[in-house]
Amino acid sequence: MTDARTETEPVAVPGEAARPKVGLADRDGFLAWAMLLPSVVYIAALVGVPFLLAVAFAFSDVTTGDPSFDFVGFRNFTAVFDDGVFWRALRNTLVFTLASMALIVVFGKILANILVAEFRGKWFVRFLVLLPWTTPVSLSTISWLWFLDSIYSPVDWVLRHLGLIDGNVVWLGRPGTAMASVIAVQTWRLTPLAAVIVMAGLVAIPRDVDEAARIDGAGFWRRMFEVTIPLTLPVIAVAGLFGAIMTFTDMTVPFVLTRGGPTHSTDVLASWAYFRGIEGGDVGQGAAIALFLFPLLLAGAVAILRAVRRLEAG
Amino acid sequence: MADRLNVPPAGTAPDTPTPDSHGTSTIRGGTSPHSDSHGISRRGFLSSSALTAGAAGAAGLLAGCASESSGPQAKGTGDAPKEVFTSPAKKLSGSLSILMWSHFVPRHDKWFDKFVADWGKKVGVDVRVDHINTVDVPRRAASEIQAGRGHDLIQHIAPFSQYEPSVLDMTDVVQEANRRWGQQLELCRRSSFNPNTKRFYCYCPGWSPDPGDFRKSMWSKVGMPNGPASWEDLLRGAAEIKRRTGVPCGIGLSPESDSNMAARALLWSYGGAVQDENEKVVLNSDATVAAVEYMTRLFKEAETSEVFSWVPASNNQALIAGKSSYILNSISAWRTAMGANRAIGDDIFFVPALRGPKASLAAQHVIQQWIVPKHAGNPDAAKEFLLHYTANFPAVTYNSELYDLPGWPSLVPQLDGWLDHDPWGAKPANKLSLLKTATSWTANIGYPGPSNPAIGEIFNTNVLPTMFGRAARGQASPKQAVAEAAGRADAIFKNWRGRGLVGG
Repeated sequence: MTDARTETEPVAVPGEAARPKVGLADRDGFLAWAMLLPSVVYIAALVGVPFLLAVAFAFSDVTTGDPSFDFVGFRNFTAVFDDGVFWRALRNTLVFTLASMALIVVFGKILANILVAEFRGKWFVRFLVLLPWTTPVSLSTISWLWFLDSIYSPVDWVLRHLGLIDGNVVWLGRPGTAMASVIAVQTWRLTPLAAVIVMAGLVAIPRDVDEAARIDGAGFWRRMFEVTIPLTLPVIAVAGLFGAIMTFTDMTVPFVLTRGGPTHSTDVLASWAYFRGIEGGDVGQGAAIALFLFPLLLAGAVAILRAVRRLEAG
Repeated sequence: MADRLNVPPAGTAPDTPTPDSHGTSTIRGGTSPHSDSHGISRRGFLSSSALTAGAAGAAGLLAGCASESSGPQAKGTGDAPKEVFTSPAKKLSGSLSILMWSHFVPRHDKWFDKFVADWGKKVGVDVRVDHINTVDVPRRAASEIQAGRGHDLIQHIAPFSQYEPSVLDMTDVVQEANRRWGQQLELCRRSSFNPNTKRFYCYCPGWSPDPGDFRKSMWSKVGMPNGPASWEDLLRGAAEIKRRTGVPCGIGLSPESDSNMAARALLWSYGGAVQDENEKVVLNSDATVAAVEYMTRLFKEAETSEVFSWVPASNNQALIAGKSSYILNSISAWRTAMGANRAIGDDIFFVPALRGPKASLAAQHVIQQWIVPKHAGNPDAAKEFLLHYTANFPAVTYNSELYDLPGWPSLVPQLDGWLDHDPWGAKPANKLSLLKTATSWTANIGYPGPSNPAIGEIFNTNVLPTMFGRAARGQASPKQAVAEAAGRADAIFKNWRGRGLVGG
C-alpha cells in the first residue's frame, strides 16, 4: 500500500492578509444583544419578577408574618371590592392622576416655551427648573409638608401678611385642600420632566415653518395653537403619558403629606395597597389592590400611544 | 406615638447638626429672638421637624416618633440602680444580632448598647445591636421573615401578633420570668399571648402609659388648674379655653398612632369596644355611637381642622408651642421640654385616663414586643438575653427616665419612690406620681380581648380615627360612621379568623 499524500500548498489570495480579523465586537447581532442585555436583565429582575410575584400573592393568603403560599382564588379580590375605602381610593387615584396630568402638560408646555427662549441667565433658570425633578421625592415632599404645616406654614404666613387670610388654612386637614395640595406637589415635581420632553419637541420644529407663519402675519397665539402645538402634540402626549403613569403609580406624595387622610380623602390605590399589605399585614389583599392598577395603566398607555401614532400618521 | 420633640435650648448654637451614636442627627437649635418663653420659634419648629421628618422621609414614611433624639437631657439626681447578672442556664456561644427601635429617650440607647455588650462579653456571645426608626421596624421584620434570614431578636413597640406563624413560642421564657419575678402584668400578657393557639408570640417585659398632658397655665384660667378629670370636663374646659384664647384641644383625628390611641381611650370610656373578651366584633353599639357623638361635639366646640393633618409629632409640638391645651401622649415630650425650656416643662402637667360614662381607660402608649424569628441562628442566646434584660428592668426604667415601666412590677420596687420624687428634676417632684396607678387605667389595644392580628390591622389601617373623623367632619352621621367601621372590622376579623389566629 502506498500512502499517497497530496499536500496542498496554501494559495495566497491577493488582499486577504490585509483584511482585519472579525471579532465578536464587530458582529452587529451580538453587539445589539450585548447592549440590550443589561436592560433586559434589569427589567426582568426588578420589574418582571416582582410583577409575577404580585400576581402570585394576589391569589394567595400570604401575610407579612406567614410567607407560606396557599392558593385562594379570587377571594382577595372579592374582599377588596367589598371594601368602601378601595373604591374611594380608586376615585381619588383617578382625580389625582387626571388633574395632575392636565396641569403637568399645561405647565410643562409653558415652561418649555420659556426654556427655549433666549434670555440672560437661561442656564441658571434651567438648572432651577430641573431641581424639583432631581431632588429625591421623599425629601422634596417633606419640604412641602413643612410648607403646608397646620401651625407653622410659611405659605399661610405669607398669605396672612398679604391680608388674604385671617387664620391658617390648614391645607392638609381638610379634604378639599388636602387633595389640592397633593395634586399641586405632584404637579410641581413632574412639570420639569414634561418641560424637558416638550422642549425636545419644540427645538425639533424646523425654523422655516415658524418663519413662514410669521411672514404670513400669524401672531404669537395663532402660531402657538396652529403651528407649535399641532407639531409637538405627539411629544406632548408622551409627556402626558409619563406624567399619568408616574402619578397613577405614585404613593410617596400622598403618603408623606397626608398618609391618605383626612378620612381617606387622599388615599390612592398605591398607598391603600401599602396600608393593607404591609402595615395591615395582609400581603395578599395588598397585592390584589396593587394589581388593580395594572389593567388600568395598560389600557391608558395603549390608548395614548395609539393616539400618538394616529397623530404621527396624520 | 411620637414623643420626643426637639425644643431649642437657650444659649446653644442654632441649627447645629450633631450626629448621635446611631448615625441619626441631633439638631440643637437656639432660642429664636422672636420666640417667647412659652412658645416655640419657627426655626425651632423647622429644626425639630427636620429631624423628625428627615428620619422618616428616608423610608418614605412620616413619623414624628422616629429617632427623635433630644436637646439637653434631664439630669438624674439619684443613683442609678445596680445591674445584676445571672449565669445562663446553658453555655452560650456564637453571635446574636438584635434589631430594635431608637428609643424616644436617647439616654436609654446609650445605656442599652453598653449593657448588651457587657453581657455578651460575660457569656461569650458576640452581640450586634441595630437601632432603627421605630416605624421602619415592622417593614424590616416583614422583609426578614419573608426572606427567612436576618436578626435573631427583633423588638417593636406595638403589637406584633401577625408574625406568630414565623416566630418561636416564648412560653418557656415567660414561664421562667414568672417563676423568678411573680405574675406578669395582665396588660403585657394580653399583648403577647394568643388564647386561640395558646402561644406567646412575643415576650413583653415592659410598657409605657398614655396619660393626658395639659398646659396648667391655660386650664387655670378656666378654673381647672388640675386639668380635666372626665371627658365632659375636657369638652367644657377645652371649649372655654378655645373661646377665650383661641387655643384648641389636641385630640388627633388623623391616620397616625396617637389618634388611634386617643380613639380607643374615648371608645372604652363610653363603654364601647372593637371586640369583646371572646374576640367577637361588637363595635356597632349604642355606646360607640355615643362616643362618636361626643367626639363630634369636641371637634366642633374645642378643636380645629389641624387635628386631621397631624403626624405623630404634631400634638407634642402643638402642646409645647402653646398651640394646644390638652393632648394624649407619654411623658417623653415633657422630658425634652424640661431639658430645653424649663418654663414650658414646668407648665406641662399630667392627668390619668379621663372618666367617661362607663369607665376611665387609656390605651398603652408603648408595649414592648420581643420576637425571635424561626430563622434565628442563636435562639438560646436571644432568650437568655431577654431574661437578663428583664432582670435589669430597674436600670431600663431609670435610663429611660421613667418612660419604660416594668411588665413584672416586683422587679422595680423603687418605682413608686421615683414617681413620688422624680430623679430627673420634675417640678413639683411628684409630678408623675399619678403613674403609680397607671396599670389600673391602662388597657391593651384589643381591650377587653387580646391584641390579635385583626386588632393590629384595624389599628394600622386607621379604622377608628376614620370613624370618629367622618362623623366629626359631617361626612357621615355618627350611626353611619359606626356602621361603616363595624363593617370593615367584621371583614378584617373574618379574614384573620380564617387563618386560625383570631377566636370568636
